[in-house]
Amino acid sequence: MSVIVFGLVQLVPGDPIRLALGTRFDQETYDALLARSGLDQPLVQQYVTWAGRALTGDLGVSFRSGETVTSLIGERLPATLTLAFASILVALLIAVPLGTLSALRPRSVVDRVATVLSQIGISVPEFWMAIVLILVFAGTLGWLPSGGYVPLTEDPGGWAQRLLLPAVVTGVVSGSVITRFVRSSVLEALGADHVRTAQAKGLPGRQVFTWHVLRNALLPLVTVTGVQLAYLLSGVVVVEIVFAWPGLGQLALQAVQSRDYPVLQGAILLFAVVFLLINLVVDLLYTAIDPRIRR
Amino acid sequence: MSAPLLEVEDLRVRLRTPRGPAEVVNGLSYTVGRGETVAVVGESGSGKSVSVLALLGLLPARVATVTGSARLDGEDLLTMSPERLREVRGPGVGMVFQDPMTSLNPVLTIGRQLVEGIRAHGEVSKAAAREQAAGLLAEVGLPDPQRALDRYPHELSGGMRQRVVIAIALSNNPALLIADEATTALDVTVQAQILDLVAELQSEHGTGVIWITHDLGVVAGIADRVLVMYGGRCVEDGTVDDVLERPAHPYTRGLLGALPDLAQVGDGELATVPGVPPAPTDLPPGCVFWPRCPVRSDPRCETEQPPLAVVGTSGGTLPHRAATWCEEGSPR
Amino acid sequence: MTGAPLPEPAASPTATEEGVPSTARPPQPRWRQTLVLLARNPTAAVAGTVLLLIVLTAVFDEAIAPTGPNEIAVEDRLQPPSLAHPFGTDDLGRDILSRVILGAAVSLRVGFLAVTFALVVGALIGLLAGYYGRWVDDVLMRFMDILFAFPAVLLAIAVLAVRGPGAGNTALAIGIVYVPVFARVTRASVLGVREDVYVRASRSVGASDWRLLTRHVLPNAAPPIIVQTSISLAFAVLAEAALSFLGLGTQPPNPSWGLMLAEGRGFIDLAWWLAFFPGMAIFLTVLCFNLLGDGLRDVLDPRQRTLMAGSGR
Repeated sequence: MSVIVFGLVQLVPGDPIRLALGTRFDQETYDALLARSGLDQPLVQQYVTWAGRALTGDLGVSFRSGETVTSLIGERLPATLTLAFASILVALLIAVPLGTLSALRPRSVVDRVATVLSQIGISVPEFWMAIVLILVFAGTLGWLPSGGYVPLTEDPGGWAQRLLLPAVVTGVVSGSVITRFVRSSVLEALGADHVRTAQAKGLPGRQVFTWHVLRNALLPLVTVTGVQLAYLLSGVVVVEIVFAWPGLGQLALQAVQSRDYPVLQGAILLFAVVFLLINLVVDLLYTAIDPRIRR
Repeated sequence: MSAPLLEVEDLRVRLRTPRGPAEVVNGLSYTVGRGETVAVVGESGSGKSVSVLALLGLLPARVATVTGSARLDGEDLLTMSPERLREVRGPGVGMVFQDPMTSLNPVLTIGRQLVEGIRAHGEVSKAAAREQAAGLLAEVGLPDPQRALDRYPHELSGGMRQRVVIAIALSNNPALLIADEATTALDVTVQAQILDLVAELQSEHGTGVIWITHDLGVVAGIADRVLVMYGGRCVEDGTVDDVLERPAHPYTRGLLGALPDLAQVGDGELATVPGVPPAPTDLPPGCVFWPRCPVRSDPRCETEQPPLAVVGTSGGTLPHRAATWCEEGSPR
Repeated sequence: MTGAPLPEPAASPTATEEGVPSTARPPQPRWRQTLVLLARNPTAAVAGTVLLLIVLTAVFDEAIAPTGPNEIAVEDRLQPPSLAHPFGTDDLGRDILSRVILGAAVSLRVGFLAVTFALVVGALIGLLAGYYGRWVDDVLMRFMDILFAFPAVLLAIAVLAVRGPGAGNTALAIGIVYVPVFARVTRASVLGVREDVYVRASRSVGASDWRLLTRHVLPNAAPPIIVQTSISLAFAVLAEAALSFLGLGTQPPNPSWGLMLAEGRGFIDLAWWLAFFPGMAIFLTVLCFNLLGDGLRDVLDPRQRTLMAGSGR
């Protein structure tokens, strides 16, 4: 994995040091910087150095700003985590009730409306929705700021205000995807034989539904939510840009634009790690809720 | 005999299918007395399972229309309120389903699934319900019942799971036990144990039993009466002796056809009759069996549905009835 | 979409004689039957028709567009929708309707190129992995897993960072992202039919691997691939718009829907139509591809082997 991260980034054309120096170019500084950044070494050696340091948490220094990549990422991480978790919350708040309702009454009005809404949610470009929401809520109505980020600790009200719109945008999109999964997994759970056994025992309907339908439908939901969370943590570049949300996506994009290898490598590596972590958490959760997987 | 425990009259089930309405059960009437065992036999697709699911309101209301009446102790199961029906499920009627692999919830422990059933019908403490559950598991012959309570279904073999399903059905001492192919998945010795257990229960509590099966050995072994279903109808019923020894309907005779000597029914399966059962969306106008019938002796066979009529009372106290125009071979 | 009677299911004679399980589809493509069934599904039929119109618009873009996409008329700048300019004009006085029409050509071309690339490469990998199994399977699919593990947008951004912006590279970037999806779907289908009776039968009479792949395995893998294609097209169009929006995809002055949105964003308070119409175009196209994909799945792949729409997002 790390080889691919490294290799991919090495292919970025352009001379980063020349770019970093800009108009202040002179050969002496250039050579010094080249030596210091290790870019004059053979690629394999560069990789070994980079991977070795990465293991100890040292991801190098940004070509552009001179800050360490670790601290750059550390600065951006809280914003991205906040947005991702707020979005998944919005998504679940939409998807679980809506998906369950449609599954309980397939082909009913509720189901049809939910299907149409989730199709729309899946198909709408999120940056477009973001722009429209900004226009309405920040522009016309003037209720909310159009973007930016303040830490929760400094200004809880402002934090919530600024979080709302981006979380809704990404939450609606993810929620639409999850709704369809909830619908199909609840439908599947409803049709299971053991539900009939539970009914035949004379359990109250609510108990049958909670423990023999929802409890079982939860299993696939965990997987989808994990996938969506991974996507939210990494794939919300566009929304971060539109809302001027200082997250990792924005950092990665800036790094691409300025050929800032160490930052780009660091960001991509972090995404990969996050992805693996989420998979791990999903596996653990699965073990906790599905006895069949326990050994 | 006093009033029967269960009295089913003109039960009809119609299912909405993508291919149009399907008449799955067509005017089924029968009774089950206290302590009596009625075996229901027939091919798959004959409406056996649907007819018992309909009794407990376990068919999805969106697709199934159930008419007729089914009085349990005088109270109609088909028209009672959902809350009353819930109370009846369990103590009134216990049900054992066909497939032990899927009829238990995979993510809950055995103990939990038993305890919730017990506690749904009375003020029982968790600990007491657990004790009771362990007792039930011991009764159905599960080794080490205390430990089994904390196990999950996937940790048990198919036979063990089926015992659990049976224990769940018995957990509220039902007045009526319905078993849908309950022992098909079990080996012969276990099957015998279960049958003994049910017999014991019957003599103790006067439980009535409806036993749906393919297995003639079971029929001969436990049933008082037999009901043969075909195309959603009862085509023949009577005492075990009457039906097995003097089958009147060509279909029943076909089922028994592979058994030249009824003394050997011990481990026999029902024979296969050539052809396939009619699609419930497209039942023939006359006798439902006509398209496959090897006899077809009467001109009315093709056009007119034969009524269920007494064919003789030779063997027992109950009438032996069959729905056929066919006279040949009847014990008269 | 005529009232043509349903053709008899084209069961291959060998299949019926040898009692092939019903999972094995006959090798002939049943596109006519599919079309008829699809036409009966109102949502899919409408989506298909709208898509056809969009594609036709994209093909005949220059002939349909009222003006050239880059005709600047500063005196007409930021005009609201009117008879002369149904979608209004942008900050340079360019006709937005014309740019949306020309943008359809750009967006769809990139989308089709991307999916074609993903389809060809992915299906090939899936075929090889599924058919040969063992280490071929292990190596190829492990690589696909790694590729799949990368966040889609980021992977595309990285590819564009390597290759530089532009329509061709955008298509390549999006295509690479979707290769693993097609590889997986194809492999699953191949595994499903590989051991079917007629494949074993063909092998026993000495048919070559290539012949087996093309004559037997591929046609059976086709239905889920077709469904996946429709759904992937939806996301390819969406991804192209996103990348162009970020300034990494199609470059100005070429009109691409995503790019127009990015340009219109700055004028959102002044002139909503700049961003509204291209956004609507993206939305409609993506929606139709998704709906068509769902309809195709109902008809072609009732066992739902393909990913649900949206799961690739």
